[in-house]
Amino acid sequence: MKIRNLITLLTAASLAALPLMPFARAQDEAPEGEAAPTEVDTEKDTYVAVVGADIYTGTGEVLRGATMLVRSGKIRRIGYDVFIPENARVVHAAGYRVYPGMVALSASTRITDGTLSADPWSAVEDAVHGRAVTDKVADELVEDWVEEWEGDFETAQAFDEAALRSSDSYDPFSSYLVLTLAAGITSVESSNLPIKLRRDKIEDVVMGDGGLVAFNWGGADARRTVRADFEKAAAYLREFRAWEAAGDKSVKEPSRRGVNSGALRVLKGEARPKFSADGANDLLGIARLAQTFGFRPVIDGCREGWIVADELGRAGVTAIVQPRERRAKDEMMVGPAGSSIENAAILHKAGVQVAVKAMNGNVDLSGIAGRDILALALDAGFAVRGGMSDAAALQSVTLVPARILGVDHRIGSLEIGKDADFLITDGDLLHYETHVQLAFVLGEVAYDKNAELYYAHIRPQPPIKITEGIPPAEETKAAEDGESDETKGAEKAGDDSEGKDPEPKPDEPAPKPDEPTPKPEEPEPKPDEPTPKPEEPEPKPDEPAPKPEEPPTHPS
Amino acid sequence: MKLTLLKLAGGVMSVLAFADLGRAQTESLPALEPGQRGIAIHVGRAITLDGDDRTHQPGLVAAIDGRIVYVGRPSAVPAGYEVVERPQTWAVPGMIDLHAHIGSAGFGDLNDSVFSVGAELRSAPAIVPGNPLLRTACAAGVTTLFLIPGSGTSIGGFGTLFKTRTRTTFDRAVFANPGGMKVAQTHNPERRAGDVGATRAGLSWVLAEVNGRARAANAAGVEDFALSALQRVHRRELPVLIHCAGSDGTAAAVRMWKLQYDTHSVISHGSLGGHRVAAFAAAADMPVNHGPRTQDFFVSRTGAVEPSAFHYWKSGLPNFSLNTDSPVIPQHELLLQGTMSARQGVPSSQALRALTLHPARAFAIDHRLGSLEVGKDADVVLWSGDPLDPRSRVETVLIEGEIQYDRAVHGQWF
Amino acid sequence: MKLFASALLAIATALPSAAAQDVFALRVGRAETIGQGTLDHAVILVENGVITVVGQDLPVERGIPIIDLPDAVVMPGLINCRTRIGVDGRGGGGADIAARASAELYPRQDVWEELLATGTTTLGIYPPGNGIPGLAAAVRPAGDTVAAMVLKDPAYLQLYLRSDRGSKKLFTDAFEKLDKYLEKVAKEREKFDKDNEKSKDKDKDKDKDKDKDKDKDKDSKKNAPEFKPSQPDDDVRPVLDLITGRLRAVIGIRKAGDWLHLLDVMGERKFEFDLQCDLRDDLDLFYIAEEVGKRGLRVIFDPTIIQHPGTRRERSMPAEFAKAGAKLALSPRSDSVEAHRDWLNQVGELVRYGLDRQIALRAVTLEPAHVLGLGDKLGSIEAGRTANLVFFDRDPFDPARRLLGVMLDGRFVSGELLP
Repeated sequence: MKIRNLITLLTAASLAALPLMPFARAQDEAPEGEAAPTEVDTEKDTYVAVVGADIYTGTGEVLRGATMLVRSGKIRRIGYDVFIPENARVVHAAGYRVYPGMVALSASTRITDGTLSADPWSAVEDAVHGRAVTDKVADELVEDWVEEWEGDFETAQAFDEAALRSSDSYDPFSSYLVLTLAAGITSVESSNLPIKLRRDKIEDVVMGDGGLVAFNWGGADARRTVRADFEKAAAYLREFRAWEAAGDKSVKEPSRRGVNSGALRVLKGEARPKFSADGANDLLGIARLAQTFGFRPVIDGCREGWIVADELGRAGVTAIVQPRERRAKDEMMVGPAGSSIENAAILHKAGVQVAVKAMNGNVDLSGIAGRDILALALDAGFAVRGGMSDAAALQSVTLVPARILGVDHRIGSLEIGKDADFLITDGDLLHYETHVQLAFVLGEVAYDKNAELYYAHIRPQPPIKITEGIPPAEETKAAEDGESDETKGAEKAGDDSEGKDPEPKPDEPAPKPDEPTPKPEEPEPKPDEPTPKPEEPEPKPDEPAPKPEEPPTHPS
Repeated sequence: MKLTLLKLAGGVMSVLAFADLGRAQTESLPALEPGQRGIAIHVGRAITLDGDDRTHQPGLVAAIDGRIVYVGRPSAVPAGYEVVERPQTWAVPGMIDLHAHIGSAGFGDLNDSVFSVGAELRSAPAIVPGNPLLRTACAAGVTTLFLIPGSGTSIGGFGTLFKTRTRTTFDRAVFANPGGMKVAQTHNPERRAGDVGATRAGLSWVLAEVNGRARAANAAGVEDFALSALQRVHRRELPVLIHCAGSDGTAAAVRMWKLQYDTHSVISHGSLGGHRVAAFAAAADMPVNHGPRTQDFFVSRTGAVEPSAFHYWKSGLPNFSLNTDSPVIPQHELLLQGTMSARQGVPSSQALRALTLHPARAFAIDHRLGSLEVGKDADVVLWSGDPLDPRSRVETVLIEGEIQYDRAVHGQWF
Repeated sequence: MKLFASALLAIATALPSAAAQDVFALRVGRAETIGQGTLDHAVILVENGVITVVGQDLPVERGIPIIDLPDAVVMPGLINCRTRIGVDGRGGGGADIAARASAELYPRQDVWEELLATGTTTLGIYPPGNGIPGLAAAVRPAGDTVAAMVLKDPAYLQLYLRSDRGSKKLFTDAFEKLDKYLEKVAKEREKFDKDNEKSKDKDKDKDKDKDKDKDKDKDSKKNAPEFKPSQPDDDVRPVLDLITGRLRAVIGIRKAGDWLHLLDVMGERKFEFDLQCDLRDDLDLFYIAEEVGKRGLRVIFDPTIIQHPGTRRERSMPAEFAKAGAKLALSPRSDSVEAHRDWLNQVGELVRYGLDRQIALRAVTLEPAHVLGLGDKLGSIEAGRTANLVFFDRDPFDPARRLLGVMLDGRFVSGELLP
């Protein structure tokens, strides 16, 4: 066939031209600064190949009907005509989309270490139970940290509290963890630490120290202290560097007493400062501080950022916003004040990096839907409501939070060398009818909608076929699909809502009443027959009657 | 602009000649009489929710003195009409929330709990017309509210059907006062200070007693001043909204108000496992106004996050609708209730109806509200896209043909 | 009544004098021996409180008194390996590795007799508190003095592992202390050896004048010093015993995740331990059943059927863990006499739910004996073991059963069979 020859020619040409292309159509190049991924595969390497899906890399690109190859938990290749090793696990995802897993900021610790309970007090009880023992230990820990942080008690305490909660209390069996994965979130931030939601082990869940130092900006005294701390740290740094450069051993090294170690780390470029601020004046103060001392701050809240967006942009601010939050304008204020749904969009336009966080860091199973951490994709949608583009909104819950936590070399987008933390969805991740079908963490299935009780019956889809190796019949088909897609090529999808791609979902109300959405299977409600878990033993025939219903609690 | 309009009209006319549009309707706008105020809005899509569930693309909605006189494809607009061009927008009927407590713009003024029955109380005096919560609700596409007392007593009183006009007086915005009665069957009106009503038996008796008296007065042809509105309820002249929850509370409400008293009634909430009696409500032809909780996990204990909104809709009960119980959920996020229902599997068209036509029908106010049809109030909301998609925004809101909110002019409130 | 009368007669005729009581034979309708399974028409020979022979339809030597109980079912006395019955419910909150539960024992209480009357013949009393609260003791619920009550002290080290830094640090700190002590001992050994070398050299020099210093030689040989390591601190000894295999541990966890953190804390260290968990609804422990079963660990549960998380679907953790290969020990649901009375009913319910019957019988006898480190002495009707027995008129798991008698150390101490 002529077309085949053309394709081969094109492939050869494009491969040859790859080093010259500024944008990789298929990502075959190693990220900058890193050694090229080794071609020699060890025997211990495991492979996963996701085949046939539309891959949204999270960097603004879409590759339709493409293949992503994962090697031992890291993304190895994304593109077309990707060679799939014989022993690879193949995920047949044609008709579905692949997205990077989302990163949820300000997540509650309940997600990573919570036990399922309708009783809010059991969590407290658990904490108290361990408290008697841990109080004594906590003091010792703080002492250790204070020593290491050289007298900076506050920073030490903040770090210590974070450490106390992080990987040592991680519970990969937590129901809340599963629900968070079901919502498309593969990493969370808790106490400024980046935590990967692994289901298989407790090791290596904390991806780094976050690289953030928190500063208290609430109140005039606190602000004065922060400014003074930075001035003192800057002065010390100047002295120290001068002393170092002079190299005169007879002169004593400048004393570090009283120097805030957090501020020092920031000035040395080892960490980024994080502030909580909402008021326009407070935000301006931070911007000025940033420009004076030359750092790029992270500001959590940033409610009135839209009023001073330009200044924040110039100061290199990264803002963590909640698009839906509302604070009425103080009627006494003459100028603009209060919250704005356009906050995220206005900040973004002014050059501020915008991350979106959910309304609530918890998982809420009390009955009100769409107002907790599970609604993170919806909150990104509310940012679009305010004028942000879909692509920027997707980044606000993936790459930007990853950058804030200093782990964007590992997560936040689907690029070669990054962790294989991704989602397979039945549609646009920002569309309200889309559900995550499979969530992968480091190339392993961490959530399977059909296998868990929680959402299997909601908008049910047939399970996605996963095979060990490509079945022979499909090998040819896959090759053909790959070839035909080659002609389409990778697109840089800008704004998805502009209707470039055929939406698999009807985004308007169908003009036929009482007819369910034309999905392959009619959604059947089965409130009394949950799908049994595979490892459960069947109950004996003489099952006792179910326990009586607990008295329901009052609605708020 | 008129030229483009004529061109458009001309173009459309030629298409019309070949297209089959189904049932014939008024093909042109009526001319304006002197003193009449007319408005004609050109939209990209008009979702009418009419009997044939028609959507006109592009569309034209026209109203005279607040009543719709034309809905359909673009047509010639006679002189005198104010013409509004919004060719990128979708026209959708204004949303209706049958369970709102933001009349007084806050959590106050909700419950007068001295007596366990406050059948003579009205919510109207507490209403602050055009208060900030009502204004934001309007800007989010919610045009009619049933502003009601709280659920602290067995009968909270009578609520007011009210439009969310942004700058208005009470008289201009009121739709019906009293608009209906508010009952709390279970799950809040429990009395703890020592009088009747600490238990379900007590609550049931409190309701039975006062209803019995009202019905007796009706039978005797007597007008009891203290029960006059309740008597109207039992003559089916006013609807009843019943706050209840759990399968037991919801079933009890259906039994009492529909099967026993045969009033014009609507279940409200029905959460915390109430969806398990959806079939019972459906068999009794009882509409359900569901929310703010639209899912359940701990009461059902099936291990699944039970989509109660979906279960109610699926049961086939008449006029399934959604609410916010504002400010439990902020009134302006009523659309999100529809969004979450659609996410659970309710078809998005049905979810939209649950926010518009169904609440109107449930309360028998659909002769004026709930859809874009000739003769109804011109409560029209212009959206940038699918109203259930949080990414869409409201461009313009008209209540009875008058623009209450316009994003281009007022900025984006939500 | 018939049984009662005939049994009494049997005992009366069989035991004419106190001295002769030291040897007797029991002939029962059925014996749940545990070690040898179910034996019908079992004959059990008891000498001085110890079982010496067990068999089916064995002839008894002439002269040995026989107690005939043809309709009785006998099983080993019940063993509750983890309880605080009979000691102060409040206890202390201290986390002291060396604390001993035996220090709280008060012998002369009605509760011990009441407990015996339920058929419980051995108890493991554990210390109160969180973290690493101390050492448990194995006791018999009879005796006028603590010494008379105590069978083994310490029986095991009680530890609790929670998924948090503080709790894990307790474990790692304890092991660190042990490591430090071992280092110290190693250094002492080095020093001792060095000193020995030096003194040997000195002696060698002296050896040149062998004849002169014959006596001195003899003395030096006589006085050859032995290496005496310094004693470990009180809080190190239990951990040392753990590592050297002299002591077992019972580690309490609250959820599946705790198991992973336990493995993290244990690292490469090896010691004998049993897992314990209070069963409750919504518990996710089934996630680790396979892994725990694969390792053949022992688990200590209460006999409760729980609900799968978020559902009303019932699951039997004891049965699932047993099926996965774990060894099972079951303790009554609470520290009350009533709970001990009801214990076999609760276990019987588990059997009806699918727990293997022999595993269930073992779970209240031999396995708890192993927890206490007394698995060779108690918990089974086999030769060489203590004669602690419980007699019923029918299947022990039958709720309508009647307890006929309890035998402790070869003597009837409770029930109708009491002489």
